[in-house]
Amino acid sequence: MSPFGALREQLLGAADAFADAPAAVPEILSGLVDDVDRALREELEIFPVCHHSPASALAMARRLRDKQPKVIYLELCEDLGPLLGELRNCRLPVALQAFATDLDGFPAGWGPLSVVAPITEASAEYQAIAYALETPDVELVLVDRSSDHVFQWQPREEEAAAGHAAGEEAGLHGDAVGIEIGDLRPRFAELEEHLLHHGKVRHWSEWWDQYVEQPLAGADYDTYRQVMVLIGSLFRRLTPERGDRLARDEERERHMWTRMREHLAATGADPADCLYVCGAFHAASRVEEFGLAGGTDYEITPRTATRWLYGLIPSSQSAIEAQFGLAPGSVSIAAATWAKAVSRGGVQPYRLDGQKGARKKKAKAAPPAPAAQPVTDKLTGFLSSPPELDGVDEAELLGWCVDIVRLARRNGYLASTADAIAVYETSILLAGMRNRVRPTPYDFQDAAVTCIEKDSVPGRRDVRHLCEILLGGDRIGQVGYDALPPLARDVYDRLEPLGLDLSKRTVQRALLNLDADPHLQPCSQLLWMLRYLLPDGAVRPIMGSRRLGERSIQESWDLTIGQHQRAVIELGYEGVTVEQVLEQRLRRAVWDPKATAATTLSAVEDSILFLGSRRFTDELGARAVELLSAERSVDDAPEVLRRIRRLLAHYRATEPELPGWCEAFVTGGYAHYCTLLPSAFVADDTGVRQVGAMLGFLFSMESLALSLGCDRAQLELAVQQSHPESPAKVALLWAARSQLGLLPLAELRARCDDLLANPLVIPSFPLYITGFVQALESVPSLGPFVVEVISKAFARLPDSVLLPWLPKLITTLRKEAAELVPVLVREAGRTFPAALADLDAWTPPWTAGPATVAAPARPVTAGPANTLLAAHPAACDAVAALLGCEGGWGAVGAAPASGAAGELLSRHPSTATAVAALLA
Amino acid sequence: MTEMLRAPAEVKYADELDWLESIDDGPKPFSWRLSPRMVRLFILGSERADGLDREIPQKWFGDRSFVERSIVTLASDRGLLLIGDPGTGKSWLAELLAAAICRNSTLVVQGTAGTTEDHIKYSWNVSMVIAKGQSRQSMIPSPIMTAMEKGVIGRFEELTRSTSDVQDALISILSEKYVSIPELDDDNIVFAQPGFSIIATANSRDRGVNDLSSALKRRFNFVRIPVVTNKRSEAEIVRFRTTELLRRHRIELDVPPTLLDILLQSFADLRAASASASSDDERLESALSTAEQIGVLEDAILHSQFFGDRALTAHTLGGSLIGSLARRTPEDLAILNKYWHGVVEPRSKKDGGEWPDFLEGGRQAISTLS
Repeated sequence: MSPFGALREQLLGAADAFADAPAAVPEILSGLVDDVDRALREELEIFPVCHHSPASALAMARRLRDKQPKVIYLELCEDLGPLLGELRNCRLPVALQAFATDLDGFPAGWGPLSVVAPITEASAEYQAIAYALETPDVELVLVDRSSDHVFQWQPREEEAAAGHAAGEEAGLHGDAVGIEIGDLRPRFAELEEHLLHHGKVRHWSEWWDQYVEQPLAGADYDTYRQVMVLIGSLFRRLTPERGDRLARDEERERHMWTRMREHLAATGADPADCLYVCGAFHAASRVEEFGLAGGTDYEITPRTATRWLYGLIPSSQSAIEAQFGLAPGSVSIAAATWAKAVSRGGVQPYRLDGQKGARKKKAKAAPPAPAAQPVTDKLTGFLSSPPELDGVDEAELLGWCVDIVRLARRNGYLASTADAIAVYETSILLAGMRNRVRPTPYDFQDAAVTCIEKDSVPGRRDVRHLCEILLGGDRIGQVGYDALPPLARDVYDRLEPLGLDLSKRTVQRALLNLDADPHLQPCSQLLWMLRYLLPDGAVRPIMGSRRLGERSIQESWDLTIGQHQRAVIELGYEGVTVEQVLEQRLRRAVWDPKATAATTLSAVEDSILFLGSRRFTDELGARAVELLSAERSVDDAPEVLRRIRRLLAHYRATEPELPGWCEAFVTGGYAHYCTLLPSAFVADDTGVRQVGAMLGFLFSMESLALSLGCDRAQLELAVQQSHPESPAKVALLWAARSQLGLLPLAELRARCDDLLANPLVIPSFPLYITGFVQALESVPSLGPFVVEVISKAFARLPDSVLLPWLPKLITTLRKEAAELVPVLVREAGRTFPAALADLDAWTPPWTAGPATVAAPARPVTAGPANTLLAAHPAACDAVAALLGCEGGWGAVGAAPASGAAGELLSRHPSTATAVAALLA
Repeated sequence: MTEMLRAPAEVKYADELDWLESIDDGPKPFSWRLSPRMVRLFILGSERADGLDREIPQKWFGDRSFVERSIVTLASDRGLLLIGDPGTGKSWLAELLAAAICRNSTLVVQGTAGTTEDHIKYSWNVSMVIAKGQSRQSMIPSPIMTAMEKGVIGRFEELTRSTSDVQDALISILSEKYVSIPELDDDNIVFAQPGFSIIATANSRDRGVNDLSSALKRRFNFVRIPVVTNKRSEAEIVRFRTTELLRRHRIELDVPPTLLDILLQSFADLRAASASASSDDERLESALSTAEQIGVLEDAILHSQFFGDRALTAHTLGGSLIGSLARRTPEDLAILNKYWHGVVEPRSKKDGGEWPDFLEGGRQAISTLS
């Protein structure tokens, strides 16, 4: 005979009396009672819990002391078990994490997979874990599905992305999938809304606190258990039937019961010595496998081949709230409630030995476990009487009022003692209005907002936020050194010489004087690597830089590694040392399908800067050559040019010869850009900058490329094949032709003069100038000519054309050739007179013509070079003809030295004779 | 009682208030006519769970905690300042509170640039002063002073529109709770009776016009009323107010739910557009509050009643919406034109129903105005 018979009768009577039609109501109501009855009759003791509920934690602590179970089954991913011991080294809240990047069996787009299960101190599961780990001969068995199954059971089409939480602390979990023990919340919005509405509360956490948490805080174990199962059953019976979530939950329940039966069968443990800790929702389960006597034909699917890595990451109360959709501050309030209940005495909680902040207390000798008592109906009493609430805790409320005013004042509010009084009064009035004897933290928060918040928030935090801080604040966990993965420990060890406490969450300033303390060099190296690997802000250089060819004498860094502990820990999943991770990242970057020659060259640069491994750098370089020759677009040409120039300069300065891949890159690039040049000149989507950079590559690498066996004819042909139409590119082509000697300077000048004389083309003249300016990169000798062209434009154009045109010129230059303008200005400075007074007498070099500046023929002195030139004059004659120089060869002979130096030499020849003798 | 165009809340809901008073057994602060819980019930309406014999309709729609905080403030030592965007129901809440607490919501001072200290304290009946000299008989007490004498709630609308010296006159009233009349030799102090408090309202868009001094801020508890964005409660408000307006105009006309949906949807769209606009030129001048929606609907109803065929159509609604929201030419018109052709047109093609008619009405109005 069930002890709940009377209650069932009463509920059915109520259903009859109040329901309009004989529908589902009686079934649900009697079902609730049945569920409670069944869960309590189960041979294996079921302990229903709710997440972050101090009442659950208190009941758990009490029950564990009474029962002293030998085996505890816990609703937590079974593969997270080995991590639990490491909790000793951490400051809670921390989260157990399972992490996978190498996916096998899941869609590739899902990666990286991450599951987190946050553990707070004010939770029943922590009590169970602490008890099991601290008491000898107690076994803790995690029975829930593995992390792998979490994703296996996730619908494929659904995006496996959780919402990104805002805020620094709230984002501590990243985008991991959260796992909670004892998720207990209405499963559809209307039910929750209904409960909130009739409970006259604002959010779920407040409802729970008022209607379950507080009444259950001091309740005996039987009442606690029955009420929790009842609530679990209520939400379960009011769950939409065909929801994915319910199906998943049922799957989990089958999994858990199967695992428990397996364990019992394997170890032969007595079910009477065991305790099954699960969410109240699961305690009211109706799957066939429920109970030790349930069906046994459930088969657990194997895990996929995905390799999972495990670790602990720091968590925070606000991160937990954000992840599980709890009201801001609710976990903090739960923690405060727990602390208060513990300090009030009556319950001695379990703690892991060595836990930070733990007070060492001698555990009392365990009393003998009382004999199991028959189940009696505690529900009727609970349901029919109003909740027994505490009276006003005057001292506590006063303390809050005084503290909030002080806190508000510190945050810029004009709050005074009068406000403290008003907050106190308002809290009590509000609580009275809401049918509460004692103002809850939520009433107090409302009162504080009413009395202190005015029309604007003076500082960074508003009163609501200040209340949250006051009522416990956001506690942020920390993973202790011993629980860290090897990489993170290695990082802490290697940064030890800096003498900073890197566990602090504040910014730590590190000053490295590398000249005076050369032993800090490895720290600096590591910091640069971390800067590359960690998210922005974790390590930030304030002074000092690391680039090819540079070395800092002093560096200063802002380090917030304590705040970014999760990022460091997650690096640990990727490898054993920072160097290994960096190498993997660089390798992954260059083998990425989207990698380009430019990104690969930047990876090469990074590998030289951070790793210094020649073999690895060569491997990346070879990949760059491969990528460059496969590229069909020249969008990255400027970037490629800049980077390869820097790398060549680096190798020339530091190594006796260029590495093979550099040579291959130059020859490959020469051929590659020659091939693409004609099409780049005409393609509309290729900009002037890109073509300018291509030419820059071709001209500046030419000597190297030719020495490595390239043929110049290829370039000449390419230029000849180019027929651009846009003015800027035309100018570029002219510049290229002049560099190649295909277009003499005189002709170039004539073409520009023609353009200036033609009023129809004048509007596009700035574009020509842009082209010429871009050409400065590849044909630096054109500098004086560009200055000349611009000067001529200024001189010849009438004001009516010039003045509207000037802004256009400036904007074009700034937009398209910003970095080349300084070159141009320097050149102009060289050409124009420095002082205003000189301007009147100044003639531009281009109008003066070569004749006026012709120097008197100097006598040719004898020497090996001159002898050679005189013997083979053909090359010089050809160059002279090309440049249009006239004049013949002078006679070779000893010329008297002229000038002061010559005079000095002829008067005192002995030094020169002695040097000549020495050299001979 | 003679007929009124708009009866104050205490007259309009006199029955309800009488009944509530008769069943109220809760503790009442000062000289309140209802206990705080009953005040809340009066404003937010009753539910089955309250177990009352008669249903009390909801009169103000918004977060329960705002009402609770307001009531509690009035029961305490401080004044209540309701602050929020125009059209969020501040004045309505103030009126309901005053009506429920003391059955008198008409002791109102309207804050304007021309409000003087006399409007808050007292002034003199000049002819009486000449005839009989200065005495209590020849004094004209302000609504606030009357409220003090009677121990009831005084209201101050648009507090931030009045100048700082007028605002400062409130400081002593709120802290000392008396007004002295130096012109009189005896009986020259008016003490506030228990139950006196002030409900002020302030428009958050007027911030910076006449900022409150910190001394005055200290004496007020601020309750910020946000713009309603929840579609369901907004529909409730619009329906509730429109019914009232129709009754007032004695018009018998149905507002089809589909049209109400269209109205709510277009306001929601326009609000979203305003929120994402980067400059004032890209934003409608209207605050797009719930009151504005009621205005649009009222306009459409009146138009259909007197110039249409006595049935509200989507066509009229479209025209009224444009007419009410286009305040600046060309900025507002341009925004509405963009909205009309970018959002309403595709929607009318996709959803059909009343939308094409709405589209046409709006389009005509835009072309008339531009």
